Amino acid sequence: MSITIYSAPGCVRCRVVKQFLNERGLRFQDRDALGDGKAAFRSFYQNNRQKIFRGPEGVEFPIYYDDDVIRQGLPAVVAHLIGGPALNGFFKPGRLHGQWLDGIHISDGASARGGDLLEVLTYLKKQSFKIRIDTNGVNADLLASVLEHGLADRVIMEVKGPLNLYDLLLQQPVDPAEIEKSIALVSKCSDYGFVTTIAPVVRQKGDPGQISYITPAEVAEAANLIKKAAGDNRQPYRLMFFDPESAADEKLRTLEALTQNALFKYRSEARKHQFKTEILAD
Amino acid sequence: MTYPSVYPTGATVYLPDQCWCGYTIFQAKELGTLLIDMNGREVRLWKGLHGFPNKLFPDGHVLGHTGERNTKYGIQDYRDLLQLDWDGNIVWKFSAYEYIEDFGEEPQWMARVHHDYQREGNPVGYFTPGMNPRIDGGNTLLLGHKNLVCKEISDKPLLDDTIYEVTWDGDLVWEWVCSEHFEQFGFREDAKNIICRDPNMRPTGGGMGDWMHLNSMSTLGPNRWYDAGDERFHPANIITDGRETNIIFIVSKETGDIVWKVGPNYDETPQLKELGWIIGQHHAHMVPRGLPGEGHILVFDNGGWAGYGAPNPGSPIGAKNALRDYSRVLEFDPLTLKIIWQYTPAEAGLVHPTDSNRFYSPFISSVQRLPNGNTLIAEGSGGRIIEVTADHRVVWEYISPYWGKHFKMNMVYRAYRVPYEWVPQLERPRETAIAPIDVTTFRVPGAAPGGAEVEVAVEGTLPYQSSSALCVVSDADEED
Repeated sequence: MSITIYSAPGCVRCRVVKQFLNERGLRFQDRDALGDGKAAFRSFYQNNRQKIFRGPEGVEFPIYYDDDVIRQGLPAVVAHLIGGPALNGFFKPGRLHGQWLDGIHISDGASARGGDLLEVLTYLKKQSFKIRIDTNGVNADLLASVLEHGLADRVIMEVKGPLNLYDLLLQQPVDPAEIEKSIALVSKCSDYGFVTTIAPVVRQKGDPGQISYITPAEVAEAANLIKKAAGDNRQPYRLMFFDPESAADEKLRTLEALTQNALFKYRSEARKHQFKTEILAD
Repeated sequence: MTYPSVYPTGATVYLPDQCWCGYTIFQAKELGTLLIDMNGREVRLWKGLHGFPNKLFPDGHVLGHTGERNTKYGIQDYRDLLQLDWDGNIVWKFSAYEYIEDFGEEPQWMARVHHDYQREGNPVGYFTPGMNPRIDGGNTLLLGHKNLVCKEISDKPLLDDTIYEVTWDGDLVWEWVCSEHFEQFGFREDAKNIICRDPNMRPTGGGMGDWMHLNSMSTLGPNRWYDAGDERFHPANIITDGRETNIIFIVSKETGDIVWKVGPNYDETPQLKELGWIIGQHHAHMVPRGLPGEGHILVFDNGGWAGYGAPNPGSPIGAKNALRDYSRVLEFDPLTLKIIWQYTPAEAGLVHPTDSNRFYSPFISSVQRLPNGNTLIAEGSGGRIIEVTADHRVVWEYISPYWGKHFKMNMVYRAYRVPYEWVPQLERPRETAIAPIDVTTFRVPGAAPGGAEVEVAVEGTLPYQSSSALCVVSDADEED
């Protein structure tokens, strides 16, 4: 197995990955994707376009390739080198720049591999990065460990909805106590926030199924859930638009997007329990 | 601005057969909401009811606020908007716009409303035939505040303006945030530069830039421009104006975009030059359908100091770089910008510019078109409310006798005339004419009458020149 790292000049994250490989005694080929290795990267990109995330500001480096696996971004590459594919669920493309690392979703990975995740985060933290952790409340014990070890500088929790809709929204069984525990943990962080995406819920499967957006009353229940679990009604709570066009589930792509004005009703209802609720434009 | 130390207050002029008679409502400084008749009789005081502004609706309903946020933390943030019945009972109230927690203060919801609001049924908040504001339902538009940072404007914290709409049940259903449209206002680079460095910073709350300072807000209502196919003048669109930027503009209710404006620059077209540089204006609105001048823009163009731009001798850093020491009331066509009617020092009979500052309110003030074509003007800083005819005669004048204890002025932010029919609780008042006093012969008790006791004829003196021949040029100078 040969390892190739596609990097960019002056990319600190690329340097950290190369340092990690050297520390582990792993040999690799370094390709400057914007310099000498430009042609090679272009060919690699064209052959693997579907696997490489391209954000609004371009392709994120470093990109790891070992003849089989492609991993992109510092956290995901280090995680792969430490824990292999079993850690994949924890990592998604990041959007933050500079000293901040994000795209780390604590609820989406296998909790049994929590030890490996802690090792990844510990390594990244030692490189002086600041880490944003995202959660939807699942894997509360793992979140507790991360916080206990001081591995999160900012935590954003997506409260998917009221507890009675959580199973439907996540399409998996959820322990309500775990969600409440996560809310309580998050609310004790120094830098944190809660968000709810006004998303569609598949209320009844089948053909035709029953799909509708969560309602303002349900968002009020979610706000009340935060109030009860966090202990007050002044939590930083944001409501987000759902973009049907980018939905993973094809059935949801035909839904009509909510308008800005429609979200005001949600905000009004949420503010009954969380006074600081705002609408997040982006 | 040459006020004598002694002068009458209350009603000073009243010519009943030339007035559009009714009651006048205004906020008496640090006293409450005052309703007076044409003779200045104080027929009702809602004591302590704040008004920014007060408005009177049919059936004697009055609108105002319970109070203002502690000024250590906010600027002109009124806590709520109330509708009270004639007896002061709350009919409707809104406050739940933002939850405010100020140090040492009781945490509470606040409307953060300032300067204006409009109730469904009437576009401008004053009497318009066939368009009464609703008193038993309907949505309300409020001009509000929001603190935020907008790097596009400045790195300093901003006190931004918002316009929001709430239902009778208190649901917020529409919101517009001014800073989100910064690029649509047409600031030149020199203006952007000074806004960035000093967005009208106020020391309150650790410092915040009141960069735009919207001070009026109303809908256009039905109008001939829209009827002719001009979508910019959709009846639901909102006209507002920024005191600090000298801009009057219309916001599309549908998209939030700025679809029509004058300012911030008045030197870019011959029409704008002819209109003249509007400065620190107040109460810009479209005269509603059914009133003389319908479809025209009516505004109290304060003068004073406002705007951002290139430094000049009166503005060393370019802040408040437009200056003028007299006011103008303008009615102009929104398409041609042609001035249709105006009341300026010239129409007031003052020699310009030497006596122009006697019609001058550098802040606040308002203007209302009345059904008979008269115009009610609050020359706010001096607490003077006048009704003038289309041919510029003052047929009613009132000077507020209420000076503040904290802010020692008798200022009147805004005044509205309402028909007697809107106050069915009162008998129609007796109207007693007040003829204008000849000030050349008027004397206070103890003062000697006019006229020299002895006249001495001096040989060789010439008659006085008809021209002013002053140290400065005035409009009394004669041309060759």
